[in-house]
Amino acid sequence: MSRRRKNAARLLLIAAGTVMVCFGAMRGEAELVLGKAIRLCLECVGIG
Amino acid sequence: MGKNKNNLSRTTGRMRGWIQAGATLFSNIHLSNFFKGGIYQGGGKALCVPGLNCYSCPAASGACPIGAFQAVVGSSKFGFSYYITGFLILVGVLLGRFVCGFLCPFGWLQDLLHKIPGRKISTKKLKSLTYVKYAVLIGTVILLPALVTNDVGMGDPYFCKYICPQGVLEGALPLAAVDAGIRSALGTLFTRKLVVLVTVAVLSVVFYRPFCKWVCPLGAFYGLMNKVSLLGVEVDRGKCVSCGRCAKVCKMDVDITRAPNHGECIRCGKCVTVCPADALAYGCGFGSDEKEMKKETEK
Amino acid sequence: MKTKMKKMMMLAVAAVLMLSLAACSGKSSKEPGNLDEAVTMYQELMEQENEIFAKNKKLWEKVFMEADKGMTLQEDGKNYGEFLLDTIESAKDKFTEDELKTLKNGAEEIKKIEEKLTMLEEKYPEVAEKAKENGSTSCKDGSASVPADSGNMDEFPSFEGKDLEGKKVNSKKLFSGNKVTVVNFWFTTCKPCVGELKDLEALNKKLMKKGGEVVGVNAYTLDGDKKAIADAKKLLEKKGVSYKNIWFKSDSAAGKLTSGLYSFPTTYVIDSKGKVVGKPIVGSITSGEQKKALNDSIEQAMK
Repeated sequence: MSRRRKNAARLLLIAAGTVMVCFGAMRGEAELVLGKAIRLCLECVGIG
Repeated sequence: MGKNKNNLSRTTGRMRGWIQAGATLFSNIHLSNFFKGGIYQGGGKALCVPGLNCYSCPAASGACPIGAFQAVVGSSKFGFSYYITGFLILVGVLLGRFVCGFLCPFGWLQDLLHKIPGRKISTKKLKSLTYVKYAVLIGTVILLPALVTNDVGMGDPYFCKYICPQGVLEGALPLAAVDAGIRSALGTLFTRKLVVLVTVAVLSVVFYRPFCKWVCPLGAFYGLMNKVSLLGVEVDRGKCVSCGRCAKVCKMDVDITRAPNHGECIRCGKCVTVCPADALAYGCGFGSDEKEMKKETEK
Repeated sequence: MKTKMKKMMMLAVAAVLMLSLAACSGKSSKEPGNLDEAVTMYQELMEQENEIFAKNKKLWEKVFMEADKGMTLQEDGKNYGEFLLDTIESAKDKFTEDELKTLKNGAEEIKKIEEKLTMLEEKYPEVAEKAKENGSTSCKDGSASVPADSGNMDEFPSFEGKDLEGKKVNSKKLFSGNKVTVVNFWFTTCKPCVGELKDLEALNKKLMKKGGEVVGVNAYTLDGDKKAIADAKKLLEKKGVSYKNIWFKSDSAAGKLTSGLYSFPTTYVIDSKGKVVGKPIVGSITSGEQKKALNDSIEQAMK
């Protein structure tokens, strides 16, 4: 991959990543993650 | 200029153990919970740490990206996680598998276990096993939680529930040690995963990082991003004498001169340290790779 | 923040302990001057209530069995003693003349005690929880209480909550109206919690025949979060759950207990006196150790 194409891909991915994080957070995914992380569903972490 | 970069690279390589220790601490900062029992329940857990670090760990400061992904995808509300995927893309573009080499607690564990003296077996002939982790990623992390759901649309986090040894080591064991209720809740699931943990631990003494090479879905994803990661390893074609020492010393079975951005390279820096011609160095930023090398050869 | 609260509670408990030791020698003032005095008075009154029950344990248990569940739900602000009187009235043909006299007298006394307790609670809202905190160390004699489990809380924290339809639920009435109450803590996105709902529903049907009940607490619905309640209701309907689910304020003692839980599902078995029987069961109760532990605790509670 030439440098230019590589850099273009990098910028595109950084942009996409940022947008995705914001979009995901806005639609409530971050809240869901928090909820699952502070209230352990025991089976989900392989206990019991 | 090349020499400076090389020195920084070598220093980084030497400091790796300390950086790994620091990263493990940073991912598990709430140490008092180990004695108190219980887990950290603050807002920091809405954010992910870069490495494989279970949020069932009493001291865990954030959420595990793999666990969080499955949680979102397995919920009845969402079928895909933009939040986590976006996070993984960002970390991947910036660091790639540098995370594996420097920031992942489970990687550090395997490094430490491998230091235990004894017979060491090379994994060069087992290269095809490295594809298994992609199957783990696609199967247990992405597809199964999203597709195999109960009558209300909820799916199990298959990787966390059945495979991940980190959860046993960091979560189940410390919690069961302090909490009688959890102790009595340990069942067949726990036993099976304990077997996984012990197997990985034993294998790690003999092979180098078997989990990272063959099983870890996080490593699989970051490996894909190695091709475009800003942080990588640069090969100075002008200096390289093709002695092959780098390939020989590489424990991830990568020939860095042929594939500087190989999906298996965890950027540990051993090749950089061992190169007699100073042809290898960490590179970061958009201007790396060909541009630098062209400059050198033109001189 | 949690450690700070804990430290403050420890200091408060220490202070109360010292005062309650002094209070053992008897107190005569009717109006409590401060929280500590209120706590000691509260404890004394609770003990008096317990003694009344202890004196005629078998009789009172008969009364509890007769307690109609419909009654417990409707009486919001009603005095517990009055509730007992009503129950005794409705079941008066089950007892002899003498037994009725004893029960009615006891109920009247309890009514008076309850009035005093309510007054204390109105003046010092935290008095109920503080009193229960060091309940095992203050002078107790002849009260029929389960021996305190080391490191476990004895009494389930009381609460004033609502079910998902908005009807008020009072913990004391809830527990005393049942021979055994199984309280199951869960949350909407926890797959094994949702998975065991069917089994809990079956358990509820079985228990209701014996004078018991299953009650659910969805950790997301604390403080009456409307969306969480709607989600929970939808889910419960889908799963065919008929037993009630309740919520309470997160800063109440029961709310704090819920927020402090970090592993789900967790199930508590509570007897008619509001005391926790056995250890809280952690993990799904559909099979294995947990199922056995649950059944054992239920049997013990119903003794």
